[in-house]
Amino acid sequence: MSRYDRAASIARTGTWLSGIALVGLVGVYIRALAFTPIERFQGPAQKIYYIHVPTAWAALMAFSVTGIVSLLYLWLRDRKLDVVAASSAEVGLAFSVAMLTTGPIWGKPIWGTWWSWDARLTSTLFIFLLFIGYLVLRNALGDPEQRARYSAVLGTLAIVLVPFIHMTVYLFRTLHPRPIIAKPGAPSLPGEMLVTFFLSLAVFTVLYIGFVMQRYALTVFEDIREEEAAHAVS
Amino acid sequence: MGDAQFWRAAFALAGKDLRIEWRTKTAFASSLVFAVLVLAVFYFMRDPTIVTLVDIAPGALWVTITFAAMLGLNRAFLLEQENHSLDGLLLTPAPRTAIFVGKLLGNLVFVFTVELVSLPLFILFYDLPLGRELPTLTLVMVLATVAFVTVGTLLSSMVVRTRFAELMLPVLLLPFLVPPVVGAVQLTARILASRPLSELSGWLKLLVSFDVVFLVLCVLLFEATLDE
Amino acid sequence: MQYPDNGAYMVAAYVVTAVVVVAYAAWLWYRIQKNR
Repeated sequence: MSRYDRAASIARTGTWLSGIALVGLVGVYIRALAFTPIERFQGPAQKIYYIHVPTAWAALMAFSVTGIVSLLYLWLRDRKLDVVAASSAEVGLAFSVAMLTTGPIWGKPIWGTWWSWDARLTSTLFIFLLFIGYLVLRNALGDPEQRARYSAVLGTLAIVLVPFIHMTVYLFRTLHPRPIIAKPGAPSLPGEMLVTFFLSLAVFTVLYIGFVMQRYALTVFEDIREEEAAHAVS
Repeated sequence: MGDAQFWRAAFALAGKDLRIEWRTKTAFASSLVFAVLVLAVFYFMRDPTIVTLVDIAPGALWVTITFAAMLGLNRAFLLEQENHSLDGLLLTPAPRTAIFVGKLLGNLVFVFTVELVSLPLFILFYDLPLGRELPTLTLVMVLATVAFVTVGTLLSSMVVRTRFAELMLPVLLLPFLVPPVVGAVQLTARILASRPLSELSGWLKLLVSFDVVFLVLCVLLFEATLDE
Repeated sequence: MQYPDNGAYMVAAYVVTAVVVVAYAAWLWYRIQKNR
């Protein structure tokens, strides 16, 4: 199979996965909005949980993949790994945007504040900023091999940094105790709600995988086009 | 190839960088002016009945230091770029990591010098109560500086090859500044208030672990930033 | 009504997420079609 054929096959599979996940997402929406009970004390806004947490999970997954694959690239120097890392970063950025917008929309009615600088929220904000930095760096480098190497260095640094960010905010909070406004009971969801939550989690996971495969194939297609254009000139 | 040769190469590199900077003193002078500006601005931009000088001193001090660090960081590699002396360095038998350590040492000396001059300025202009706590504060400044200068040196070695290097370095470096600078500010505030060691230990552990982890990581990663 | 009246937030969050996801999916699909 040629490189193009391999990419086309990945594009096909990825598009299918994304398509199925999108249909699944419609199902989750319907189930969450119409067939899952409203939480009595928190109201309808509690249902944002079924969407916000899975997007955060997808963003975190994307970030971890970029970080780990970056490290793998530095070890194995296989360009395919670089494409995976970069694809995961772009997809992760998309999920981060959803995560960072639904977060405050959820926070305001449930916690009474748009933003609270707690360890989790702050870490997710920094993951977003690190994604942007990663993609900005890639954009500024022309040579593919250099770009792959430098991105991998940044990706590795980034994934090591995040636990420290978490720790920093945790230290800050424990030494500056703030009144804790009612926190939604995340772990103890009753049956119906738990099912909706896990369905959503599964859908977003499949969506992530589908998107990354599509993005990967797209990169290969774009590379092939560039190479053909270069050949035509020379 | 032994340890001695490694350190000789590193120190030679650091010395060369510092000598070049000393000749023009541009980055150093800019940092100093910036320090005094920050001092003045932070002094005047508060309501003196609500915010005391001791409240804003830690923040002002570390804003000064981090900006000075960023000023100095890019210059180190920019000079290399202009003189293509990095290629010459790569031909020598000096191990690659010696180049990184040399750069790091040069940058550290630069930032430490700025700190050495800024701290007395702050104590002077903000009437800070420092005496017995000076050794602890010095330790904190060293730990925090090593933290962000290490990551900054590595990042600037990559960023210097991009078009908007001066813009890219802060964008990439800022997330990495958060643990050490927040730690440094928290520690400085507590030190100025003469808090006991038990209240400092958590932040100190954070700084030390950050230093160790990123020092090792950056030394290992430097090789990957060299284009052959 | 027993529960707080915050349905608008829920709608906003669900709409925003749908827009982001669908927009990104569409953009990916479009770029793949253009480049394959």
